[in-house]
Amino acid sequence: MEQELREIVRKLLEEGAIEYFIGYAEGFEPLHTTPCFIERGEQVQALVWSPLCPYNLARYLHQMKNGAGKVGLVVKGCDARAIVELVKGNQIQRERVVVVGIPCQGQVDLAKLEDAFEGVEAVEGKGDTFLVTVGEKVHSVEKERLLREKCFSCRHPISFEYDFVLGEMSPLVYGSESEFAMVEELERLPVEERRAFWRAQFERCIRCYACRDICYACYCQECIFESKAPRWLEKTTTPLDNQTYHLIRAWHMVGRCIDCGECERVCPVGIPLRRLYKKVEKEVEQLFDYRAGMRVEDLPPLVTFAAEEPALSSRQDRSER
Amino acid sequence: MASDDDPTILVFACNWCSYAGADLAGVSRLEMPPHCRVVRVMCSARVRPEFVIAALSRGLDGVVVLGCHPGDCHYSEGNYYTRRRALLLKELLEHVGIEPERFQLRWISASEGAKFAQTITEITGEIKALDGRREPPPEG
Ligand code: SF4
Ligand code: SF4
Ligand code: SF4
Ligand code: FES
Repeated sequence: MEQELREIVRKLLEEGAIEYFIGYAEGFEPLHTTPCFIERGEQVQALVWSPLCPYNLARYLHQMKNGAGKVGLVVKGCDARAIVELVKGNQIQRERVVVVGIPCQGQVDLAKLEDAFEGVEAVEGKGDTFLVTVGEKVHSVEKERLLREKCFSCRHPISFEYDFVLGEMSPLVYGSESEFAMVEELERLPVEERRAFWRAQFERCIRCYACRDICYACYCQECIFESKAPRWLEKTTTPLDNQTYHLIRAWHMVGRCIDCGECERVCPVGIPLRRLYKKVEKEVEQLFDYRAGMRVEDLPPLVTFAAEEPALSSRQDRSER
Repeated sequence: MASDDDPTILVFACNWCSYAGADLAGVSRLEMPPHCRVVRVMCSARVRPEFVIAALSRGLDGVVVLGCHPGDCHYSEGNYYTRRRALLLKELLEHVGIEPERFQLRWISASEGAKFAQTITEITGEIKALDGRREPPPEG
């Protein structure tokens, strides 16, 4: 697959069809790949692919907004949803991006991997297993044990048209648990316990903004948190400021979060952010029958309405009288 | 009657219906809890959810958004957007432990002065009942 990818990219660059290509390259040690930018045909050897390629590379499309040329990138099926949303939000033009779909069959959770093995040199997917190379030995491990949490609810956009595919783009189907199970677990708690849970999480936040900066959907030219007038937040990390930050950001993810899980992965203090954004995602789906990143034609849930909204009416009685 | 430990409630009232309703309650000298602050906005849809989040995070006891009845918005459709947002926002707030009583949306027309007074009294009572079992809001 890597070889095929390199050939496609070499051709695109040599024909002048794209200015550069965004892909994955080897990182500073075996378990870390890194995003890379390929500008010349002879650099394509750097491109790699494995179950250790977490980055949602669509994040790097923000910077092409004001240019004129084309850019190529490789996406996992789940990341293709970001492209749908970026097109929908007029952030990029579809015809300026050359999208190479890679048939991802599950990404590895590094923490789980490091718990299970020491000195891993490589990981490869094979059917229902990951082949983990440690020194001379190759261990075959059931995927379930090492998968990233988000891969259990793998979803690809319904009608995405890739420019190239390196195999059949179909979602990974794993586990029978609802993808919202972790949200529902919190929902069952009494309200005071939920408050205590989130307060303890938010308290740890150092407001490094990594969760915002890694997010493909945070493309605002001036983020509300940088605004000086009005000023929504102080620089301090008091519980008050942190709660304000997290709730406002969760609000901004309405209809945009595609559950790439990058925010949670990069958080230096381990805040379970997916449990916050998945709640929003769940309600958007149940109330408005909307899922981000599936089709460019789908109208985001808060820019539209119907005079009669039966889906709302059961809950409406509580809020509206 | 009102006492100092009554909750403080921020009320956003749209200019065309609900603010007039509040005004009517005032000129009719209806009794209601004094700890509410009314902010006039042109339409209920002017109330950005960020306002509600910021107010509640800063320790206000409750936020109420008042708008024209569905179909009556001065801008035809503002309150339909408000309705969608409010429902979703309430879910988000509840998820992090902010009780649904603390954020409410109600429809009040210009002639419903009595409904305004009754709504504020009712919501104040609901929040007061919660405060009895709540630790103080975060400091900072
Ligand atoms: S990445 Fe984590 S610590 Fe940094 S701002 Fe986000 S939640 Fe807070
Ligand atoms: S947090 Fe909100 S305002 Fe800031 S970049 Fe993201 S969407 Fe934009
Ligand atoms: S909020 Fe997190 S999971 Fe959702 S799109 Fe942004 S980075 Fe991905
Ligand atoms: S003007 Fe009253 S809700 Fe829009």
